[in-house]
Amino acid sequence: MSASVHAIDPRTWRSETASLAMWVFLATELMFFGALFLAYLYVRSHDPGGVAAASRHTHEWLGTLNTAILLTSSFTMALAVRGSQLGQRESVRRFLWITAALGTAFLAVKGIEYAKEWDEGVVPGLHFTVAEHVRATALFFYLYFVATGVHAVHLAIGVVTVLWQSWRLRAPALPPWRVDEIDVTGLYWHFVDAIWVFLYPLFYLVDLHG
Amino acid sequence: MSYLSEGYTLRSWLTTRDHKRIAILYAIAITVFFFLGGAAATLIRLELATPAGDLVSADTYNKLFTLHGVVMVWFFLIPSIPATLGNFLIPLMIGAREVAFPRLNLMSWYIYVLGGLFTVGMLIAGGVDTGWTFYTPYSTMFSNTHVVWAVMGVFIVGFSSILTGLNFIVTIHRMRAPGLTWFRLPLFVWAHYATSLILVLATPVLAMTLVLLSVERLLHVGIFDPALGGDPLLFQHLFWFYSHPAVYIMVLPAMGVVSEIITCFARKRIFGYRFMCYAILGIAGFGFLVWGHHMFVSGQSMYAGMAFSFLSFMVAVPSAIKVFNWTATLYKGSIVFTAPMLYALGFVGLFTVGGLTGLYLAALAVDVHLTDTYFVIAHFHYIMVGGSVMAYLGGIHYWWPKITGRLYNEAWGRMAAIVIFVGFNLTFFPQYLLGYLGMPRRYHEYPPEFQLLNVLSSAGAAVLAVGYLLPLLYLGWSLFLGQRAAPNPWDARGLEWKTASPPPKENFVDEPTVDTVPYQYDPEARVP
Amino acid sequence: MNSPAPVRIYTMTWVALLALLATTFGLAHLDLGAMSPVASLAIATVKAVLVAVFFMHLRRASALVVLFALVAIFGLAILFTLSGADYATREIHAAPWTAPEGH
Repeated sequence: MSASVHAIDPRTWRSETASLAMWVFLATELMFFGALFLAYLYVRSHDPGGVAAASRHTHEWLGTLNTAILLTSSFTMALAVRGSQLGQRESVRRFLWITAALGTAFLAVKGIEYAKEWDEGVVPGLHFTVAEHVRATALFFYLYFVATGVHAVHLAIGVVTVLWQSWRLRAPALPPWRVDEIDVTGLYWHFVDAIWVFLYPLFYLVDLHG
Repeated sequence: MSYLSEGYTLRSWLTTRDHKRIAILYAIAITVFFFLGGAAATLIRLELATPAGDLVSADTYNKLFTLHGVVMVWFFLIPSIPATLGNFLIPLMIGAREVAFPRLNLMSWYIYVLGGLFTVGMLIAGGVDTGWTFYTPYSTMFSNTHVVWAVMGVFIVGFSSILTGLNFIVTIHRMRAPGLTWFRLPLFVWAHYATSLILVLATPVLAMTLVLLSVERLLHVGIFDPALGGDPLLFQHLFWFYSHPAVYIMVLPAMGVVSEIITCFARKRIFGYRFMCYAILGIAGFGFLVWGHHMFVSGQSMYAGMAFSFLSFMVAVPSAIKVFNWTATLYKGSIVFTAPMLYALGFVGLFTVGGLTGLYLAALAVDVHLTDTYFVIAHFHYIMVGGSVMAYLGGIHYWWPKITGRLYNEAWGRMAAIVIFVGFNLTFFPQYLLGYLGMPRRYHEYPPEFQLLNVLSSAGAAVLAVGYLLPLLYLGWSLFLGQRAAPNPWDARGLEWKTASPPPKENFVDEPTVDTVPYQYDPEARVP
Repeated sequence: MNSPAPVRIYTMTWVALLALLATTFGLAHLDLGAMSPVASLAIATVKAVLVAVFFMHLRRASALVVLFALVAIFGLAILFTLSGADYATREIHAAPWTAPEGH
């Protein structure tokens, strides 16, 4: 990448800089979630049978549905970013709305799952009535709630940001800095999706054949 | 019209986007925390002047050394050079008008203050007694102090670090002046770039670890306590994965400062510039591979211990290269013993002692004897205080004319540097001996045969305290009555010296261009 | 950042992602033994790479951006490998745990 602000035009400089900054931030986020993945690795390798049993308490159909929703939201977000680069303001607003709606749907499904898990008594420390593989199930669900909870917080921030970007596009203008903002919002959104892509098999697909 | 006169109201300072003003906001805040951590140290050394635990109770003593560690590591050392000197100088050194994200910069200061308030609140509410390392299961299960509160303060201030690092990385990549290629950058900038990589990659791991610790303490379920099916070493792996690179966050910027000062006051180009750059990157990179040397006696596997021991020996190599190169820079230089130079030379000597004793600790068998003794305490204080704090003070003095537009009194500056050097060695050298002789760390009482060395150490701490107070006096005095400074009072090289002292808000009247490597000094030239 | 990719690139990526989702869900219902986590994580990796390369535009990004996209993976690899070295070579002897007073 060129050294100084003078080697390329300001427009390109700005969008490349914004993109670099967001990728640096995503690197920090990946390290943040990474610590959780180490904890998961520890728990699963120390009691694979217990973790397998515990994971059967998750709701694989809801989890799979949610994965499909989030992957689709990445698709619509990518189309929003593409539209912003082509100056298609109306199309961008539409795709941002759909993305936010899909993200909200994900959070709603997650809420339903959490409610079910509460009723089923698998919330360690708060409402835990499991009788078999007690320790493994407690640890598994401790990780599940922390991981999916932190993920949900990130997604909620994403939804708010996407809605805010859409709201700012009310005025009939799509200036270059708005395009950059939508681009980096997209990068953040896709990252949150990519994290979920790993959480899904780790929590939902451990042992579905037993 | 300098950046200092662009608005005199408190509001103009608290809503500033000027990296130079933000640097000063940080400088004030970290000074407050330095003296808070120093107050804890004073009480510790007072208690340790006598063998009996007669000044404070054991519980209070635990809270004192915890406070000292938490405040000094996270609220003083980690931000010190980067957030003050780094923020002020990096845009100047690269010929830029600002950092890449000025508002993010201001936000990082507010986040720092918020974390600080959390921590002070926790202190007032009764403190925390786990040690700055928060080891489990004591912190999660057994401590009756404000663990979650303390940990949340550290969690918050971590985001300040991350934002600073992010800003520096993007600024250095994207905002260098025309002609300023990577191998024409001052080593101060290289050092802060490497530090920023560590800031952004290591700090988030600590953040998540502290979240997990808090959940475990609050809900009594988790992965760090064998009673719950967990492993205390998992906490230690995660904690030290951050906290070892953190010590390089504390020392790399100091090394950057030292390179600037030594070249200026030896009037000589740095010896082996490219190797210095590679060494900086090597320290940052290798620094991520050695954390298990904090866990040699923890129950960690012996084979992992061997791997970490070997890697810890490797990480000494780039540091040694830097020490050799500073020494070679001094050789046949035209040396002037100004206050900054005294601090920089002190750094080289004391860092070398601290670094060599690190090798003792990296040797597995020797560590079994020395771990958790005062030898370890002496080792890291030689590096962090004899090293980083002295470099910080050296940098403050060196760039004081640039930052404030005033000259400090050189005689007082030299005297304070010598008082600090003497006080420091008197405080900490006896601790190497105490540790070797077997005095454990974190104990408020000890067998009577250790008293002489402890009294020497406490006496040294008194001298050191005087040394640290002196700059407050004469630097403060210079702000009002000091002689006004020219743009380049030291006849130094570097872009920051090509603008007024203090600089205008936009840093440069005309954007500079660069066409040479740095440190164009000539030791043969007559000093005017 | 010149002209963006045609819509079909994004659509094909999305279709591929959903197909991989169906695959991983299906495979999880088979008894693959120790290969089960390997398969599901491999598929997850492919999905993440597709998202990164096509949705996040890594295929057109500069070398510097790609480096930052990868650096955390290296960092985590170090964390997992060296911690793993401890866990892989440490013998754990479980001992009965007695509760302290009052717990």
